[in-house]
Amino acid sequence: MRKPCVAILGFGLMGRLCALELYKETELSIYEKGSLTGEQSAGFVAAAMLAPLAESVACERDLSEQGLAAISLWQKVISQLDKPVFFQQQGSLVVAHAQDKGDLHSFGQRIKSIEQHQAITVTKHEIGQLEPELAGRFQQGFYLPCEGQLDNRQFYEASFAQLQGTDVSFYENCDAQPNLSRFDCVLDCRGLGAKNVLAQLRGVRGEVIRLHAPEVNLKRPIRLMHPRYPIYIVPKPNHEFVIGATEIESQSMRSMTLRSAMELLSAAYTVHSGFAEAEIIEMSAGLRPSLPDNRPVINCDGNVVRINGLYRHGYLLAPIYAAKAVAIAKQVCEKKNEINC
Amino acid sequence: MQDLLSIYGTDLASRLFIGSALYPSPAIMQESIVAAQSDVVTVSLRRQGSASEGADFWQLIKDTNKHVLPNTAGCHSVNEAVTLAQMCREVFNTNWIKLELIGDEYNLQPDPIALLEATKILIEQGFQVLPYCTDDLVICQKLVDLGCEVLMPWGAPIGTGKGLLNPYNLKTIRERLPNTTLLIDAGLGLPSHACMAMEMGYDAVLLNSAIAQAGDPVVMARAFANAVNAGRAAYLAQAMPEKDLAKPSTPTLGMPFWHQNG
Repeated sequence: MRKPCVAILGFGLMGRLCALELYKETELSIYEKGSLTGEQSAGFVAAAMLAPLAESVACERDLSEQGLAAISLWQKVISQLDKPVFFQQQGSLVVAHAQDKGDLHSFGQRIKSIEQHQAITVTKHEIGQLEPELAGRFQQGFYLPCEGQLDNRQFYEASFAQLQGTDVSFYENCDAQPNLSRFDCVLDCRGLGAKNVLAQLRGVRGEVIRLHAPEVNLKRPIRLMHPRYPIYIVPKPNHEFVIGATEIESQSMRSMTLRSAMELLSAAYTVHSGFAEAEIIEMSAGLRPSLPDNRPVINCDGNVVRINGLYRHGYLLAPIYAAKAVAIAKQVCEKKNEINC
Repeated sequence: MQDLLSIYGTDLASRLFIGSALYPSPAIMQESIVAAQSDVVTVSLRRQGSASEGADFWQLIKDTNKHVLPNTAGCHSVNEAVTLAQMCREVFNTNWIKLELIGDEYNLQPDPIALLEATKILIEQGFQVLPYCTDDLVICQKLVDLGCEVLMPWGAPIGTGKGLLNPYNLKTIRERLPNTTLLIDAGLGLPSHACMAMEMGYDAVLLNSAIAQAGDPVVMARAFANAVNAGRAAYLAQAMPEKDLAKPSTPTLGMPFWHQNG
């Protein structure tokens, strides 16, 4: 029996995850408007936090539950890659400066417990035990033990490398869409590129700074309360840190603004003065594909399965939604096969 | 007869103006606006970049079919505020502008001096200015002298949710400017704060964080709508005079010696 013929449109985070699930059992073609290394995609810019508890403050319970389930899926995905991808699940720490203690209190009241996982209130002393370099800096905080993160740049590279040695056909810098009808199934993972078929899609701008800070030894992601949006300091391997992210209702892809840079960098500095001598490696901006309810959507239109709207929950939810989309794609292929028989 | 609020000649049924920032999602924002029964939605253009880049989000606000009150949130200088006001007029096709000029980064207190200057320029350019100001009577009077028909003194610093920090000042402004439309803008956290402002005779309230940052913004929007209506009704009904001595509401007839302990 011939392998189903499948196309993936868009080779960002979702496109990569779907491709990894499908490449062995399908004849797979991947079309990407930009570069296959993915610099233009939201998932490349992101901090790649896996924070189902912290996100539960502002999203529905079912999304947090799926986010929790996705953490183990990430471990599985990464374990199947030949190249190493940094993955960590040592919890995260939520702290606030004195003037934002009201926000910290409110965060504590609204955080939801998911299954047996919950936020643990930590004292000044306990914060110092978890993160010795933050000893004495914050009076109170929350420790969220189930949370984690991964290195998205390593994942982008490793996933591409995994697929390159196979029969997958790659089409880079494609402006025009292929003829969709020649495939048994098409997975549309284009994010904002799919605005022509998902009119309600909008971009939510996020800006992120990457630093190299040899003087800083934080072990786990730190979330700092901020009046406008949560700011994360996410430690990656080799003393690299991702500071992010702003959240602005704009589709602007211009470079980072001075205001945003100052907000993010001053937040980092107030958490740890060792950031003063950090080298700024990169300042980048991306657009999170979002729908009006800020929830992901999967829909099926003929032989096209569309996954979109992951908003700020790309890494949190992507493996779950990729698995769902792939399951639907397989059904579409089976149906097509039955018709052809 | 319907109790309408007039903003520069536009009659409005609702006395609750609502902001469009900080909601968990645009869908919840839209639901909250409906639940608040607001006729006016404020919107900020400051960080969106160019007009086309914020268009999708602004369309969601336009879809509510409410009056849009653009604001100059985040501006620190007269030039910035004037330029942004001009951009707002172009994007939203309205002469209304909520003029916000920050003088202190820490508590986001309006800069009263720059506010007067920007107000003068914008009124000369045909804008209908709704200035966000402190609860200072003299500044309020000067804004009225410049031609403002509507003023928006703060209840407390933006986003603090502390309510009416200086009721004495706010009452004084209400009493001394009886012909000016007055809104309390900023600092409200609870429906009771909005109710108090309306009982005091303020014509309307404007708020954002108290609804958007509530655990359930839609339910909180409804609570604020009820509070504003209650406060307005109480103001129109004229409250009983406050007294220092207790006065029983039960008639004392049949108690001839009621003052025997006096």
